[in-house]
Amino acid sequence: MKVELRNLTKIFPSRNKKSGEEVIAVNDFTFTIPDGKLIGLLGPSGCGKSTTLYMISGLQKPTSGQIFFGEDDVTELSAENRGIGLVFQNYALYPHMTVKQNILFPLQNLKGADKLPKAEMLQRAYEAAKLVQIDELMDRKPGELSGGQQQRVAIARALVKMPKVLLLDEPLSNLDARLRLQTREEIRRIQKETGITTIFVTHDQEEAMSISDMIVVMKLGVVQQTGRPQEVYDDPTNLFVAKFLGTPPINVFAGEVKSEKLYIGGVAVLDVPGVEDREVTVGIRPEGFVPDANGPLVCKLNSVEVMGRDVSVVSTHASSLNPIVRSIVNSDYRISSEETVRYSLKSHKVFLFDRRDETRIRF
Amino acid sequence: MTEHVSMQEKNLQQVSAHQRIVKVAVQVLLYAFLFLMALTVLFPFYWMLISSVKTLAEYQLQIPTFFPRKIVFFNYVEAFQTANLGRLFLNTLYVGVVSTLLSLVITVLSAFAFARLEFKGKNALFAALLATMMIPGELFTITNYITVDTFGWMETFTALIVPFLVSVFYIYLLRQNFMQIPNELYLAAKVDGTSDLKYLWKVMIPLALPTLISITILKMMGAWNSYIWPRLVANKPEMRLITNGLRNAFTDANTQQTNIPVQMAAVAIVSFPLFLVFIFLRKYIMKGVSRSGIKG
Amino acid sequence: MVESKHKWKAWLYLSPAIVLLLIFTVWPIINTIRMSLLVDYSTIKETGGYAFDFGIKNFVRVLNYPKFLNCLKNTLLLCVLTVPLSTILALLIAVCLNAIKPLQRFLQTVFFLPYVTNSIAIGMVFSAMFNIIGNNIGSSTQLITTAGIINNIIGVFGVDPINWINAGSSYWANITVLVVYIVWDALPFKILVLLGGLQSINRQYYDAAKVDSTPRSRVFTKITVPLLSPMIAYVVITAFIGGFKEYSSIVGIFGDGMGPAGDKGRLNTMVGFIYDSLAASQEGLASAAALILFAIIFVVTMINLYVSKKKTHY
Repeated sequence: MKVELRNLTKIFPSRNKKSGEEVIAVNDFTFTIPDGKLIGLLGPSGCGKSTTLYMISGLQKPTSGQIFFGEDDVTELSAENRGIGLVFQNYALYPHMTVKQNILFPLQNLKGADKLPKAEMLQRAYEAAKLVQIDELMDRKPGELSGGQQQRVAIARALVKMPKVLLLDEPLSNLDARLRLQTREEIRRIQKETGITTIFVTHDQEEAMSISDMIVVMKLGVVQQTGRPQEVYDDPTNLFVAKFLGTPPINVFAGEVKSEKLYIGGVAVLDVPGVEDREVTVGIRPEGFVPDANGPLVCKLNSVEVMGRDVSVVSTHASSLNPIVRSIVNSDYRISSEETVRYSLKSHKVFLFDRRDETRIRF
Repeated sequence: MTEHVSMQEKNLQQVSAHQRIVKVAVQVLLYAFLFLMALTVLFPFYWMLISSVKTLAEYQLQIPTFFPRKIVFFNYVEAFQTANLGRLFLNTLYVGVVSTLLSLVITVLSAFAFARLEFKGKNALFAALLATMMIPGELFTITNYITVDTFGWMETFTALIVPFLVSVFYIYLLRQNFMQIPNELYLAAKVDGTSDLKYLWKVMIPLALPTLISITILKMMGAWNSYIWPRLVANKPEMRLITNGLRNAFTDANTQQTNIPVQMAAVAIVSFPLFLVFIFLRKYIMKGVSRSGIKG
Repeated sequence: MVESKHKWKAWLYLSPAIVLLLIFTVWPIINTIRMSLLVDYSTIKETGGYAFDFGIKNFVRVLNYPKFLNCLKNTLLLCVLTVPLSTILALLIAVCLNAIKPLQRFLQTVFFLPYVTNSIAIGMVFSAMFNIIGNNIGSSTQLITTAGIINNIIGVFGVDPINWINAGSSYWANITVLVVYIVWDALPFKILVLLGGLQSINRQYYDAAKVDSTPRSRVFTKITVPLLSPMIAYVVITAFIGGFKEYSSIVGIFGDGMGPAGDKGRLNTMVGFIYDSLAASQEGLASAAALILFAIIFVVTMINLYVSKKKTHY
């Protein structure tokens, strides 16, 4: 099922009645989620991503704008009637019911023509459990399960009624690092197998990048950029998106463009054809540095961290807006000097941004 | 859009209209039920108030008036005189204040010892105290009655105050509160050479003030509402507390007839201070009561 | 925890509490057991130098005493009627309160109001509401001349006036009045505790149920009640304990005669029996009755705890 958001806006009344300031949680969000895809809603906390998810679920009503499931306008429809599956951040498994009872619960709510015979309910519950590999745990209570297992039960409960749309709110945030890697692959696999349009919310860019078909980057209620993960990473529209995506994070410098050359710390480091003379903020991805004995960018060397395949070089530079400059280079590279490291730059890994409004300046 | 789509759209509109109707209907039912119950709960208070300002003749009408035709206040004057309410008020106030103050001192000291000091048998002693909470008070009353008599306290305020000074429940409540205050504060005070009592006064009591206020209110309300024990040990007219004095004051000894408007005026007078306390200190009362709910 | 060299300090702080508890709590426990086991014990006889037989005769006598059995019957009846009624009503009100937004605080306050009243004083108000003025004993035609507002209200629905509490009233009429009053009196505490419990249930369970299109009735029986069950258990246990100690509500309505005029003592309860025995200087009987009361409360509490353990664990 295709999901379409048109000018979706959510304004919360102010908590402090006296000041009367409203909070715009989501501002004019328009986006179409293609059928059968896995979409990551991504942004720092307070960016409105969860609010968006809850508006799609029907648990929160938009202040204005519309939501379409396929061709149907469901904006006025309450959560009960939307036929979606929702996995909560804390899973919200009913603590007094067994895993089986939890998974059966949505099926037992079906009424009228949709009502299922008992045997079929059980069969569907076991199918869903098998899909998430918890069919061994059916008689346990949630309190007796690990976080990862609870998470699977929550997914099974959301999937068992075969929802048109599956929504996941920070599905991995309560898991430890190893389980997180494993579970995100699992979510990808389940989504592929079922083909259900899936939207998940996360503040972890790596998580979103690794499994999403498309990502939506949000900040303070405003969508910054949408697209396939690699596209967004390679071609950020503004400094926020560039900074938010990628580990290690992008390196940011103060720079200046003079006669189509980019200067960092008074040294010309790159040709930037077509850019007017101006002051700019420069973003350089860690993999955009090429160690070069004659390279124009000279940094003071701090340390070299060997990470197997790659080497991470930590250095400092007077014009860097971050405390350190971190580059990722091939492990064949050997440091020659003890004090400095010189780089030339890959131009497609260097992004220029307006100093004031931080929008991208293309070259 | 195709015809099929618009059909479906119509269907969706029906569903959302239906769901809106259900929502409104449920809200209406909820409020109707709650208001009905609230009226039932409030009705006795209303009846008390309007009966207290009716003349006896109007009160005895065959079909009672829901609002008095003539509002009179002499029932209040009569109630005050007949039941000697002034005396009852003073007695109750005296017993309430003295027992609350003494009780607070004892409770604070005990709770401090249980929460902050280390001594042999502490846990066993605390468990034993908690166990006594299970025993119904009536079991103590019999012997306490004898004890009070032996001590020669019959018909004295001492008999009303001393036996109930220690409440295990209050000690428990305050100890839990004290335990939440980080021990580091106590250690820091020790390092600075602060004495226990000074620390208690300067740090723990201010931090536990809400609990202490709750205890004070509940204790005062206890004095206000106590009936059984005062009737047993201090039943002389000049020693009576409010509840005890109230119950039988308005029934004519010969005819067994009660002047109900005067009686209602007396009840209103007695209830008024409680309402006042409730209105101003609702937060503390509800917290104290609900916390006693969580102890289970 | 802190230094052990000042051990005496702890005991110093505890001393007032311990002394008072020894005199007014520990000694009564021992003495009550002692008195209950001395046949026909009374302090007057003891000071007179009387030597008592030792045995369980007091218990046997109490349990065969028609007056006591009547008190036991009244107490049990009131418990069985009021505990479920007040719990269910309080649960309904709490759930409804939890489901509304405007006026929630206001209504919550209204429902808490009966808690801060003097139960004997308000008992007198109930008594007045059910009272029939100008009633002559035995003359049922006089019932028409009622000023009791309750009779007038039920008259609107075509019900004949009932003699609720006056002389000549029936036992069941008396019990009905008591049940109404006790439930009214018991609601605030229960609503407060249950509403507190409801508000601490994670909202996400309800959101999850909503997403799964769960009907309201099913949300109530399958989610609200199970998740609230520890609080419900607590409320039921305290209600039973309070119910077995029922006394002042009856004094409030009927006076310390514990019954309508002409049939005093008809509505007496176990606690009332204990005080009557005490007033009659029959401390041995009173003690035996108090221990029986304790035993009943103990057993019922244990049963409640056992049942609620089985039903509420998660």
